[in-house]
Amino acid sequence: MDAIHADGISKKFRLGTLGEHQRLTEALSKGLRRWMAGASGPQAERQEFWALREVDFRIGHGEVVGIIGHNGAGKSTLLKILSRIVTPTLGRVGVRGRVGSLLEVGTGFHPELTGRENIFLNGAILGMKRSEIRRRFDQIVAFAEVERFLDTPVKRYSSGMTVRLGFSVAAHMEPDVLIIDEVLSVGDQAFQNRCMGKASELGGQGRTILVVSHNLAAISNICSRAMLLDKGRIAVDGTAQEAIDRYLQGMRADTGMACWEDGSGPSSQDVRLTRVSVRSGAVTDSLERGVTSSVAIDQPIRIEIEYEVLRDGVQNTSQVHLKDENGVFVFSSGNAPSMCERADSSYGKPMSRGRYLSVCEVPANFLNDSRYVVSVFLGPEIGRPTVSSESVLVFSVADTGAMRKEYLGSWYGPVIRPRLSWSTELVD
Amino acid sequence: MVSSLGGWNILGGLKASVSFAWGWKGSGGTLEKDEVVREDSPRNVGGKELVYYGEPDFLGLGQLREAWEGRELLYSFFKRDLLIRYRQVFVGVLWVLVQPLLGTLIFLMLFHFLGTQRTGASQGGGRLGDASLILIGMLFWQLVNNSLRDATGSLVNYRHVITKIYFPRMLLPLSSLMCALFDLMVGFVLLVPVVAMANAGVEWWRVWGVVPALLWLVLFCFGAILWLSSLNAQYRDVGYALPFVLQIGMFLSPVVYGYERIEGALSPAWQILYTANPVASCIGIARWAVLGAPLPPWLGMVLAAAITATLVISGLIWFQRSNQSMADRI
Repeated sequence: MDAIHADGISKKFRLGTLGEHQRLTEALSKGLRRWMAGASGPQAERQEFWALREVDFRIGHGEVVGIIGHNGAGKSTLLKILSRIVTPTLGRVGVRGRVGSLLEVGTGFHPELTGRENIFLNGAILGMKRSEIRRRFDQIVAFAEVERFLDTPVKRYSSGMTVRLGFSVAAHMEPDVLIIDEVLSVGDQAFQNRCMGKASELGGQGRTILVVSHNLAAISNICSRAMLLDKGRIAVDGTAQEAIDRYLQGMRADTGMACWEDGSGPSSQDVRLTRVSVRSGAVTDSLERGVTSSVAIDQPIRIEIEYEVLRDGVQNTSQVHLKDENGVFVFSSGNAPSMCERADSSYGKPMSRGRYLSVCEVPANFLNDSRYVVSVFLGPEIGRPTVSSESVLVFSVADTGAMRKEYLGSWYGPVIRPRLSWSTELVD
Repeated sequence: MVSSLGGWNILGGLKASVSFAWGWKGSGGTLEKDEVVREDSPRNVGGKELVYYGEPDFLGLGQLREAWEGRELLYSFFKRDLLIRYRQVFVGVLWVLVQPLLGTLIFLMLFHFLGTQRTGASQGGGRLGDASLILIGMLFWQLVNNSLRDATGSLVNYRHVITKIYFPRMLLPLSSLMCALFDLMVGFVLLVPVVAMANAGVEWWRVWGVVPALLWLVLFCFGAILWLSSLNAQYRDVGYALPFVLQIGMFLSPVVYGYERIEGALSPAWQILYTANPVASCIGIARWAVLGAPLPPWLGMVLAAAITATLVISGLIWFQRSNQSMADRI
């Protein structure tokens, strides 16, 4: 039995007119001008933008569906249409049962009101009856852990308390269809875990859930089905893994490469940098294939440094520094034999003029899901670079859920996430 | 149905407003029954129909139904507005009385010092008769003034919620109207002793005339706030222009003077035009009911009623249209 029907939803926005038509006089004078210019007046100034095009799907009762896609792919617009906030330009939406939409935590909280008053107000906005709220009041308060502050105005709450209270009200709304947008990305870690847990729990109770998230791991964990939106259309509608794979593939169209083809790269008398790129997966011969700014966590990462040796007989070393997005130094590695798994055969040997490619391979299942900043150094000796290119590339490691099958917790915190050998034996 | 998507659907829409229940709550009828069953048990939505989100109907009656179903939320908004108003306020609800009381005193003094022109109370009662006449005008005007003022900004001030969740948006301006009505009710407490002291010859059968006058005025305010709040959501000018309009409106309506004072100064045609202002008619009826002042001319009242009806109906249609794109444009 279907819980949601989306029949050919399209949504058109008019660019530029949103702010422009805020004044009545302008709208009137514009209308007047158009009228005087005749029906064929200038319409071209109005740019149209289709946020969604012909989105068509059915979601069965009890399904937990994830929606992923790049920024601007139309995810939020879709959720807003499904939760009736925005009316589609074309098409229609049908829903069976009560819809709860959670596009923001604590929607409608008023800072002057106490926690108790806000629970009732927020609950009512979410569509709960007073009797329902009263019945679940104790559960809501207990989940949010705000018992002592119930009669304090919410403006005196810490932001964490406000978010907890907001989520708690929403989580006890018990709708038939729950629509969640990025809620899992707010609040502290413990709170995120509880949100995840609550979402799985609600899914387990046979509720239909739609989640938009950039957190691929969460999607792969709690969703049985996922849709990938691309430029307002559904690109993939299948299992969570299919959608995530396509999503990551799509990201490879992005950069992941810094290139100085015209010889403008950082250089010394001896060497000049021509290209730095990040490549995911196994070695391939084509230049473009696999170059990416986003690497799946279970794929090896190749950091490639291409440089030109400008004089014959130069000795050169290559070195890479990797920092995470908070500036934490993850590792420094160079092609000296003692620093390598396999010795780099060109280390310490005079090089003739020409282009060289040094590749540093970071094993799969080693970095955590985060963004990493690459800095590259060249020079005759490791640690004494003559050419340096700091923060030349940024790439991100995306958690595909490969390491979460049995683990619902978070990997937030550690810089690396290696797969290590474990064994447990009975010793006595 | 597919052919009429997104557009006006006059015939189908009327049906739709009945059968397409409000998604916010699902199909209302089966909800109660379900609730007993579903406590912590796996969901059973078998009894629920797949409902399509409401399409516009001709008169916007679906939204009235929605608003009625959302009356608990309306109460929450109303309570919130009252609570916020009196949070961190020392004398609390007395503030409601200060505004009409001071206004009445000021105008009484003004008339006194400006050569004591009587405000036109036909019955006796001296100063207190004047005071009760002005007070009635003030209380009624306060309803118009406060409801229009607060309702106009109500949607815009709540845009962070309107763009995040769906609820019957009409409830927001309605809540402002309810607050203004609350003020009026409190103000009536003030009116009773003043009228009693004025000894203005209140006839008890006639006093009930206040009720239809008040209902009429509420209806007028309802129509006006439907227009103002949704227009203001798109064009902020409305909010800037409103204070002027209200100020002018106060002097164009018989708020601080009796209708009879106008009677002598205007030709009959202008008189009718003057009383075509629904506020003037409502205040006139109320004064007739309480103080025995003459009723406004019938033709004027009929015109005023027609204007009120037009305002409400067009307001409903406009609000519904505006509601479709509200989250995009607010």
